[in-house]
Amino acid sequence: MSPAIGSQVNADKASDVLVRSRARAALIPDLLVEAQRVANNVFAGWHGRRRRGIGENFWQFRPYVEGENYAAIDWRKSARDDIVYVRDREWQASHTVWLWVDESPSMLFKSGEAAVSKQSRALVLALAMAELLARSGERIGWLGVTPPIVHRHAAERLAAALMVSKTQSTFPDTSLISDHSEVILISDFLGADDQEHALDPAFQAVAEKHVRGHLVQIIDPAEEVFPYSGRVEFRDPETKSQISFGSAQSIRADYQALFAAHCTELSEFAKRTGWSHTLHHTDQLASKALQSLHVDLSASPMRGVR
Amino acid sequence: MFGLPLAFASPWILLALLTLPLIWLLLRLTPPKPQDEVFPPLAILRKLAAKEETPAQSPWWLTLLRLLMAGLVILAMAGPIWNPRDAVLQKEGPVLLIIDDGWASGKIWDQVKQMASTITGEAEKSNRVVSLMLTTDPATASEKPLSSSEVNSKLEAAFNHAIRPDHQGSAAKLNELLAAIQFGEIVFLSDGVSTGDASEGFVTALGNSSIPVTIAEPELGELAILNPIENQPGKMIGTVSRAIDTSTLPLRVIAYDKDGLPIARVSSILSEGQKSVEFSFDQPVELRNQITRVEIENASTAGAVQLLDEGNRRRIVGLISGQSSDISQPLLSPLYYINRALSPFSDLRIADTSNIEEAANDLIAQNVSVIVMADIGTMPNETESKITKFVEEGGLVIRFAGPRLAANPNGPLLPVDLIEGDRFIGGALSWEEPKAIAAFEPGSPFFGLPTPNDISVSRQVLAEQNTELSSKTWARLEDGTPLVTADQLGAGWIVLFHVNSDNNWSNLPLSGSFVDMLRLTVNLSRSTNTATSGDTALRLPAMEILDGTGALTPPPAQVKPLVIEAGLWPVPTLETPPGLYGTADGFVALNLIREKEEINPLDTQELSSTLTKAQYQGGASFAFTPWLLGAATLLFLLDCIAVLWFAGMLGKFRFAGATAALVLAAGLIASQSTFAPTAFAQSKTNESVDFSAALTTRFAYVKTGSSQTDNVSAAGLLGLTRFIGSRTALEPGDPIGVDIANDELAFYPFLYWPIDLDAPVPDEETMARVDAYMKQGGSILFDTKDQINSALGSGSSTNGNAKLREILASLDIPPLEPVPSDHVLTKSFFLLDSFPGRYQGGDLWVEQTGRIEELVDRPARSGDGVSTIMITSNDFAGAWAIDNQNRSLFATIPASTGQREYAFRVGVNIVMYTITGNYKADQVHIPALLERLGQ
Repeated sequence: MSPAIGSQVNADKASDVLVRSRARAALIPDLLVEAQRVANNVFAGWHGRRRRGIGENFWQFRPYVEGENYAAIDWRKSARDDIVYVRDREWQASHTVWLWVDESPSMLFKSGEAAVSKQSRALVLALAMAELLARSGERIGWLGVTPPIVHRHAAERLAAALMVSKTQSTFPDTSLISDHSEVILISDFLGADDQEHALDPAFQAVAEKHVRGHLVQIIDPAEEVFPYSGRVEFRDPETKSQISFGSAQSIRADYQALFAAHCTELSEFAKRTGWSHTLHHTDQLASKALQSLHVDLSASPMRGVR
Repeated sequence: MFGLPLAFASPWILLALLTLPLIWLLLRLTPPKPQDEVFPPLAILRKLAAKEETPAQSPWWLTLLRLLMAGLVILAMAGPIWNPRDAVLQKEGPVLLIIDDGWASGKIWDQVKQMASTITGEAEKSNRVVSLMLTTDPATASEKPLSSSEVNSKLEAAFNHAIRPDHQGSAAKLNELLAAIQFGEIVFLSDGVSTGDASEGFVTALGNSSIPVTIAEPELGELAILNPIENQPGKMIGTVSRAIDTSTLPLRVIAYDKDGLPIARVSSILSEGQKSVEFSFDQPVELRNQITRVEIENASTAGAVQLLDEGNRRRIVGLISGQSSDISQPLLSPLYYINRALSPFSDLRIADTSNIEEAANDLIAQNVSVIVMADIGTMPNETESKITKFVEEGGLVIRFAGPRLAANPNGPLLPVDLIEGDRFIGGALSWEEPKAIAAFEPGSPFFGLPTPNDISVSRQVLAEQNTELSSKTWARLEDGTPLVTADQLGAGWIVLFHVNSDNNWSNLPLSGSFVDMLRLTVNLSRSTNTATSGDTALRLPAMEILDGTGALTPPPAQVKPLVIEAGLWPVPTLETPPGLYGTADGFVALNLIREKEEINPLDTQELSSTLTKAQYQGGASFAFTPWLLGAATLLFLLDCIAVLWFAGMLGKFRFAGATAALVLAAGLIASQSTFAPTAFAQSKTNESVDFSAALTTRFAYVKTGSSQTDNVSAAGLLGLTRFIGSRTALEPGDPIGVDIANDELAFYPFLYWPIDLDAPVPDEETMARVDAYMKQGGSILFDTKDQINSALGSGSSTNGNAKLREILASLDIPPLEPVPSDHVLTKSFFLLDSFPGRYQGGDLWVEQTGRIEELVDRPARSGDGVSTIMITSNDFAGAWAIDNQNRSLFATIPASTGQREYAFRVGVNIVMYTITGNYKADQVHIPALLERLGQ
């Protein structure tokens, strides 16, 4: 018998939330380092808002227009010329970004083809995002763990908070989420045992609010490719329910079609709500997802917001 | 069991077969264990569940396979045995085990032994002692009963012999044993064949013992014997007899030569009611004479083998008579009676010419064994020596007297000295009666023949009386005068009949004795070892003997030499079993079966009161257990494969296997490709070169890789080629450059190897090729081309020298010397005293030749072979080099046309030397050779 293709990365009792939390907490320092490394990679291409506004950084000089505040005039510049210049600063509005990482047991899955478990990758992505956002002065909160904070080292703070928080078994309370904030939801989106909808109703509730959502779907390659063959008994890590197939390879094509449909449904949902949907496989580099997530995040803030 | 010869060692285990239905149920209910996989998107998978029918049970064939496996294991445990042994012993007390280990048990010996060991096994179980008696050697039977294990070890060592059982001795021994020990039971493992009265006596003795007797008798249906073979004029005749004639028995008789190769084969059938049948080999006499063994195929008994010795061979006899054969009066021909007497047992070649010289040549050329000369007095010296040689090499000459011989009593090739003239007895002027023949004396080959009393001799030639006469006499007349005398000459014999070969001198040629005498005489030819050579009995060591299965084997230690006393043919015994005795040059065959012998089954009717009959059980018993277990293992492997297949592993294995095979194949191809393609390409490109190189003699230079050096070498060799073409009879082809590492060198008698300082030193493999080239007769001329650099003359080492040393380091180079003044190189075409090239002054070094005979007056040193290596520093190629217009490319140093001419001459000498070898050295001996030849 060859070893099973997929496994749950921590062998502790999956139901024990505390134990799992502790295991996760033990992981976090490493993940934080990894997250910073990934964030540094991406930060090289990180720019300001490219727009005039309230901020600290110089943006441009422009001729003074009647009626403007005198205080805005840059006298030093104006003294060189006959024109009176106003120093514009770059717009630096601080957004509130909520992070959330699915912590259900299914996220602990890791197949032989993937380097890390889905949860590990999700945490890395979230922390890296936090690092990036913190560097640009955004308010960052972690749903169910910590309210939004503004701090240069917000990522570390989040990590510290995560280390002491308990694993959430359900989707946390969303009442803290204010309108016009951004929500980054990182999950495998497989939790819905409901066979009708691809998405958990909790997400639907978030979507009701006037927020911009970013769905990051973490997929283990085994879940997409279905490399099983022969007689296999499949076990759900969350519900423990089992199902066995006499010849797994025979249903491969059907499964792949269904899984693709699941992803498409998720994508459709995102499109409908004006959210973004990023698909990430755990055998790919984390920076790739981070890059794409960042692009989505820095797109026009008004787009799709109802 | 069930009428089959099948039994189980532990039948109760078979009860376990009843559990098979239970196993069936269990197996049906237990599907193969699936592989357990965690799979988060189970919800998606669940949608597919309806499509896939999950087998809750194993497939029926897998269950069947496993049931079969279980059944096989149960059967194997039960220990089924084919042909189980029945118990033989029935009573109590000591057992007397009598075994016929004679020739007739050859084929059944294994069964006999099996049964004997069964009996000892039974005896061991019931703790009974056993006495063992082997009927070929009853004297060795133990007086005391032995434990069965002792008997068993004796039985292990016992084998049957190729002789008849000694039933007479056995009967005596039996009575002795019966008197000594109170046996509970007697078991007689008989071979079923009667040896006549002795066997009957033995059976009677058994019957008289009033002890229960069990006799095992084999089936005799296939037992057949081969009676002695007779080599008749046209064919070889033999008879096959058998013991029981109730069935039809087809058999084949095969004749083998002395190397054991079959020569002839004949099939015959003994139909019902027929006890014997005659067969014959119709092969030509030359083939028949090679037969040394005739046997019934697959009979495996000594009785089915007849060994043939020289006595069975038909000799080719050549006849020469002094007078030309007169066809019109055949009865008067001196050869007529000899012809008639010899033809039954030999093949005759009659010389068809009266020229004795031609006749003798003719007959000897026909490979005759015997030459019969009727009434020949003298013969030419040459013929005499030829015939003498023939005799000395083992031929036999039989001479008959006659008027011519009587007139030349001192002629050659006579066993005794003769008195001139013949003795006429019983004529009109004589008182004496014609004489009869005296009884043959011991020591004569004729001893044993009945004394012929109907023969009268009226004329004879007489022998000089001397001391040797009586020992040379084989037959004499009543008055003691010799009738037949013989003498050994070399390996052959000369036999003289003192009468002539027709009925003028005696009526011997008309008698039957004449035939016998001639036959015995002819038998002497080429078998001189076996001829009785004196009064003492002949002792012949065993050469090969027949073993119990009728095969010829080297004699074991206990076999004694065969003693043949004149006229008394020995009988096979334990110490002298049937076989071949003597040496490979001359041997006699001792056969078991005598003339017209019959075999009969042993009659045990008398014993019916106390007798139990047993059967030898054909075939060995056969235990099925290992085979059943093996089959079960095989099924288990199949089951493993099936389980793997169910678990979906097989595909992976196949994939892995295919990958491994691919990798392996790729590796192989890669490893092949490292040299194969280059070799291939090389053979392609070089083939035409090799062809042309093989067809014309051409010079070759070694490509150094420096184009300048190579061009000079090519131009130099071209110049030399043209020079040689114009000055000598040798017209070489255009020179060629060879790649020393890859090209075939064998085609070039001579390699020019300029030393290029920049060229890399050839690797070991290349130097091995060079070494092989040199050892196969090639010569290499190394040219360091740097004489000019050794400014201070010879002695100082130059860079070129160092390079050369480096190159030659791995070569097997003999000691070298500068060409001595008497070396062949100085005179192989031109006469030279120095070897200049473009430079002069450098020495030409060659292999040192032997300095043993340093004679001042010899113009050339002898010495075989060609120096495989020549080393110069004079830059020959530079001197030889020419361009297309035949202009020299380089000036010689110092500049002189004479030096160039000499350089060319050196080249010619070197080429001639490498091509013709020491031929020129031998040329100097021509005057001496001519003188010795007297011309």
